Amino acid sequence: MPTLTIDGREITVEPGTRIIEAADRLGIDIPRFCYHPGLPVAGNCRMCLVDTNRSPKPVASCWDPCQDGHVVVTNSPRVLEARRAVLEYILLNHPVDCPICDQAGECDLQDLYFAHDHQPSRHPFHKHHKDKARVLGPQIIYDAERCINCTRCIRVCEEVAKAPQLVQVQRGERAYIDVFPGTQLDHPYSMCTADVCPVGALTTRDFRFKCRAWLTHGIQTVCGECSRGCGIRADVYRNAVQRLVPRHNPDVNQYWACDAGRLAYHRFETGRVSAVRIGGAAADYAKGVRDVAEALPGADARGVVVVLTPWMTCEDVGAVVAAVRSAAPGATFAVGGAAPGIQDDILVRADKNPNRNGVAKVLADLGVTPVALDAVLSQAPSLGALIVCGAEQAKAEALAGALAAVPLSIVLAALEGPLTAAARFVFPTTSPYEADGTWVNESGVTQRVRRAVEPVGDAKGFEVWASDLADRLGTPLAARDRAIGGNP
Amino acid sequence: MVKVKVVERPPADLVVQSWLPELWKGMKVSGRHFFVNLLTQKGIVTSQYPEVKRAYPPRFRGKHRLMRREDGSVRCVACFMCSTACPADCISIVAGQRDDENEKFPVTFEVDFIKCVFCGMCEEACPCDAIRLDSGVHRAPAYTRKEELNGKEDLLSLGSLSVARQGGEFK
Repeated sequence: MPTLTIDGREITVEPGTRIIEAADRLGIDIPRFCYHPGLPVAGNCRMCLVDTNRSPKPVASCWDPCQDGHVVVTNSPRVLEARRAVLEYILLNHPVDCPICDQAGECDLQDLYFAHDHQPSRHPFHKHHKDKARVLGPQIIYDAERCINCTRCIRVCEEVAKAPQLVQVQRGERAYIDVFPGTQLDHPYSMCTADVCPVGALTTRDFRFKCRAWLTHGIQTVCGECSRGCGIRADVYRNAVQRLVPRHNPDVNQYWACDAGRLAYHRFETGRVSAVRIGGAAADYAKGVRDVAEALPGADARGVVVVLTPWMTCEDVGAVVAAVRSAAPGATFAVGGAAPGIQDDILVRADKNPNRNGVAKVLADLGVTPVALDAVLSQAPSLGALIVCGAEQAKAEALAGALAAVPLSIVLAALEGPLTAAARFVFPTTSPYEADGTWVNESGVTQRVRRAVEPVGDAKGFEVWASDLADRLGTPLAARDRAIGGNP
Repeated sequence: MVKVKVVERPPADLVVQSWLPELWKGMKVSGRHFFVNLLTQKGIVTSQYPEVKRAYPPRFRGKHRLMRREDGSVRCVACFMCSTACPADCISIVAGQRDDENEKFPVTFEVDFIKCVFCGMCEEACPCDAIRLDSGVHRAPAYTRKEELNGKEDLLSLGSLSVARQGGEFK
């Protein structure tokens, strides 16, 4: 176990640890472009130069392993001068088009220029011009002028996505990133290349020119597109999600997220249920809850079935079960959910529901044994009431038929669809970006889902609806069932 | 030190209380101004608004205008600096892509004159000399909120050519 000193602070690390990792652990900031903790080391940008007692000149701290007795200085005048020179060289042909660059505001090159170089260009000749706005794939647009050839994107494709689609061509100042002739950058993790790009060379078509980075505020939440539950940050501006970017979670997704998950928020931009409907006509939310509260106890004799969805948070499930049971003690519960989809051996899981584990856990805790969905569908015409939660139901058509057959049919959904068309009572619910609560992913990691944007119209979380229903029934839910995510 | 001239209040004697001599004095002053203005028009301080309008001072901040390049296109590159600097949050921009070297342009550029406080921060923040408040056009009140929302075409119609160097790099 080598013990070394960085800027006068001692640290003991595992053999093979790079100096930059040790410095990161100490909270000492070493500037870098090509080094990324989730990628193999390339050591080509030379920005992370540090002085050590083991070499006559500054060494790249991302490449040099820690040795016992190493004395590292990250901010000596010689190192600062070396970094300034490196930065000046990187900026030689950079177009400095920050006003139109999407990376401005979160650009490493911009930040480090102000921290280290901070001088006008001394380049007396015309800058070397390269391709701008070159389309590399369905999601990615490349600006060769801004590129500093750190090759992070190439390494993401090779090491993370296992799809070596990018390559560096030409040499020296003419070098640029490209796809192979006749191919394009289209693997399911292509947008990660734009995340790791330290400058504005790779931009996503989704976020391109949409909003400036500094105008957004990031809400740390969880992706719901599959049972992996990748940590994501929803960047919000003017109450609208502008983009989703992965957030580092070593237990779940490392630094990455798939393209499908990051584009999923577009699903909730149109086709939303925004108002309560009773029998197809818009109605007041309070009237809807009151009518349900009056009708539900009477339906218990013929049987009340609630179809839950694994898109609900754990708090939602607890509240809905408690509220429905107080109206109809004999109610039974089934778990529906979205149809399984593709799976890969990187992040994407086949189960396209984020909280199947959590729902099962909460139901078990509440002593509920869920019945099979097919059994519900077969006995539908004899039921007194059918409550379907969530629009993400694989058997939506069959459920719509069942809803049409029962006397009291209630749907709580965020999106319009066959279910909302068939039900008598339709209540709008929150999208995953408007919800607040807890999801448990496939490997049992419990994660907090946070509200990024305000709900549209009358949309309320399942939990809020359930506690309003319970209030109306005269059996208010206990405080623990209300938990978090109440309507503000 | 301000000089204060103290005027004794004249005594309200019989001459004043009879008001006729005082009326005559006043009519003499008014009549002199009337005939001097009518015959010589010298020293009139009022202007014949609305036929004659007084020019605003050169630093007057009026309605925004968007400047044009030599080819007639809008100079704005939709960098959002103005809307970021705006303390009233009155500028809304939707950016789009164009195929020349300028790459980015505003598809819509709206200034909400209800919100605008005419502080000039947007002008100061603009790296492209694209937005200016020197149109000299006073913001007129409107009957509806929608009329107060001036779009790109409205702002361009006040604009003119600017040949200020854009960006920083020489071409």
